[in-house]
Amino acid sequence: MQARGISKSFGGSQALADVSADVAPGEVVALVGENGAGKSTLLKVLAAVVRRDAGEVTIDARPYDPRSQREAEAAGVALVFQELNVNMALSIAENVMLGHLRDFRCFGILDGRALKAAAQAILDRIGAEFTVDDPVDSLDLGQIKTVEVARALALNPRYVFFDESTAFLNRDEAARLLDVIAELRRQGLGIAMVSHHLAELFAISDRMVVLKDGALVGAYDTDGMDEERLTELMVGRDMSGGMFPASRPTAVGDPAIEASGVTTRAMSGPLDLTLKRGEILGIGGLKGSGGEAIVAALAGQDPLSGGEIRLHGAPYRPRLPRDGWARGIATLPGDRTGEGVVTDFSVLENLTLATRPRRMGIVSDRRAMRQSADEQVASLGIRAQSVEMTTGDLSGGNMQKVVLGKCLAARPRVLLLNNPTRGVDVGARSEIYRVIRRLADDGMAVLMVTEDLHELIGLSDRVIVTRMGAISHRFAPGAELTEEEIVKWMM
Amino acid sequence: MDDVTPKDAPAARPAPAKSWRTRAQRAFPVVLLVVLCAIFGLLSDRFVTIGNLLIVMQQSAVLLVAAVAMTFVIVNGSIDLSVGSMIALSALAAASLSDTMGVWAILPAMGVGLLCGLVNGVLFAYGRVPSFIVTLGTLVIFRGVVLLFTRGAPVSISDADFLNLYAGRLGGVPNTVIIALIATAFGALIFNHTVFGREVRAIGGGERVAALSGIYVARVKLGVFTLCGLLCGVAGLLQSARTMAATSQLAQGLELDVIAAVVVGGTPLTGGIGRIRGTILGVLIIAILSNGMNMTGVDPYLQSIVKGLVLIFAVFLTIDRSKILIIK
Repeated sequence: MQARGISKSFGGSQALADVSADVAPGEVVALVGENGAGKSTLLKVLAAVVRRDAGEVTIDARPYDPRSQREAEAAGVALVFQELNVNMALSIAENVMLGHLRDFRCFGILDGRALKAAAQAILDRIGAEFTVDDPVDSLDLGQIKTVEVARALALNPRYVFFDESTAFLNRDEAARLLDVIAELRRQGLGIAMVSHHLAELFAISDRMVVLKDGALVGAYDTDGMDEERLTELMVGRDMSGGMFPASRPTAVGDPAIEASGVTTRAMSGPLDLTLKRGEILGIGGLKGSGGEAIVAALAGQDPLSGGEIRLHGAPYRPRLPRDGWARGIATLPGDRTGEGVVTDFSVLENLTLATRPRRMGIVSDRRAMRQSADEQVASLGIRAQSVEMTTGDLSGGNMQKVVLGKCLAARPRVLLLNNPTRGVDVGARSEIYRVIRRLADDGMAVLMVTEDLHELIGLSDRVIVTRMGAISHRFAPGAELTEEEIVKWMM
Repeated sequence: MDDVTPKDAPAARPAPAKSWRTRAQRAFPVVLLVVLCAIFGLLSDRFVTIGNLLIVMQQSAVLLVAAVAMTFVIVNGSIDLSVGSMIALSALAAASLSDTMGVWAILPAMGVGLLCGLVNGVLFAYGRVPSFIVTLGTLVIFRGVVLLFTRGAPVSISDADFLNLYAGRLGGVPNTVIIALIATAFGALIFNHTVFGREVRAIGGGERVAALSGIYVARVKLGVFTLCGLLCGVAGLLQSARTMAATSQLAQGLELDVIAAVVVGGTPLTGGIGRIRGTILGVLIIAILSNGMNMTGVDPYLQSIVKGLVLIFAVFLTIDRSKILIIK
């Protein structure tokens, strides 16, 4: 399979620009690059989940131009998504054959036996240690992922793509999935995969295709590549110095938040944590390992079942997010469009959604709204045609700035950030970092949960790592931080 | 009455470019109204007269107040199926107490409406039962209360003061129309110019976003249903004055006309977006459609088919489905 000159843009931002790459049968190609480099987009273009704007793809020198995912599958190309897409109301066999259930009709009625046999054959082929007769809810996350791999194999593809397929898996589950991938390679399938665990890619891939900001950096044999050189290629020398603003450790002051013995439903153990004014406390960890639960507890999203929190020395026991806002705690949620902004609202309305300026207690104060929004647009450099523009039409980076602006309009003293630059392009990301640093320098207490190691190391004054719902390690302030050291505490 | 997106006071900045499609969709209710008037005007010379205009307005007064109430509920992302029953129960309260309270029977009518709305709101917002289910239940319950009290017999109104005020006319304009317009202006004021109105839209546009932004979601939802009940109380009063009695069949099935009016006016059932101005147009469309078909002698059995077709095509033509992935 050869892809030449692939380009794709979403709205105004160029996700892929003139990218070329090859995948041969019997090899594993790793796509590597930073967040937003275009890896997932490339896979989705090749599997026809999104349409390319330009470029040509050939399979065996014949043009390959599917208009839908179904056509791609018919042409022998399947994609395994990052998210878990198994329907818990269906059986394993039905999940494996989802999309092809019509092929198992016998006089219009589903032939359950043939369905099971066909699904079991695929499970056997990839060496699954469970059978189609097991109940779906008995599967662990790794096995659910295996069901999805089996589904991708249902039409007997020649190329299978994996998009961050190990993202939600623990180490054992991930190792088993890698075994499955190795088995598929042995059977002669061409495989391309994206993963943010570089170690996995070194272990399994034959070649590495490096992308940066939507453009191709180059393709390299995995033999002879080392992690240092790869990181250099991914990040690019020019970014390493300028991405993160320098911290001023002298600015750190009194404790803003002191949590002792705090427990919520989402935590696996009691939480003790101090957040000081003027510092950026970074919380690292895999998705769902506890960082988000800490934010949810402090922001009032999850009710406390035990322990106590002191805010600037006074007791603080929030019941709803509004209690947090009322006490000067602003929260930037992790899901921009589902939690951060009302996409149908104008930029103006979203920027004032948390403050809701009013006169006489009930009347919406248009002038104050306008003033507040203009202030945030100017100070954050939000690029919108006007504040009347519908927020959903903004680029990811600008939309994230609107969420940040909504927080800052409330003039908080404590800022809780959940993955503040997820899915944000490089330019907007460095602007957001500068804003966060400036706020901390001015005395704001900032707690940042992030899955991005560069961000964690680059922006934090102090780092805490979580694992399986509890804190696994606290690095001393100013400690020398390396990715390896942090990852060790995440696993 | 304003758009949902607040207009800015200073005119220095150029308005954001709207696509022709968006404009066409926004203008659709107006165009439909004009087309309907033109058709009926050509077919019947009695249609375009002051007298008939007043009849249309009088016929649509109850629908208008209920539709304004429903706009809040739908924009909030919910539904209230009990409006017809709340109107009937309020009308009963007004009719029963008109002898003793005279013009002040408006108070028990509004009180009963408010109480009904409060019941819906508590069950929905705090009991966390879906609004469709809650109001499907209270649709039957409130109607049952009416039947229980009346035993199926109408309660007629004879109090002269009551009828003079609520069924009378001011300079030829029926007082019911004036009261309905006051209630509509009140609703529009709340919808467009209060923080509560913004919160209602924020919840409909994204409940989780609203909650995480510090909006007290349950309280706003309770407020929406209570306001809906209160306005239905006013509508019930108007209905009782128009028919000079409260009957057990009063406003039966009205909820469907109310929802149709709101939707034809351009407010999608998905919540977050909507305009009182659109609802007013929607009410006029529904009312003129009925009135015009009567005037031009359309077979009554055919009329409901036409109404249904207009509803479906209005939504088919106005809602931008390209952005909605799943239509339920």
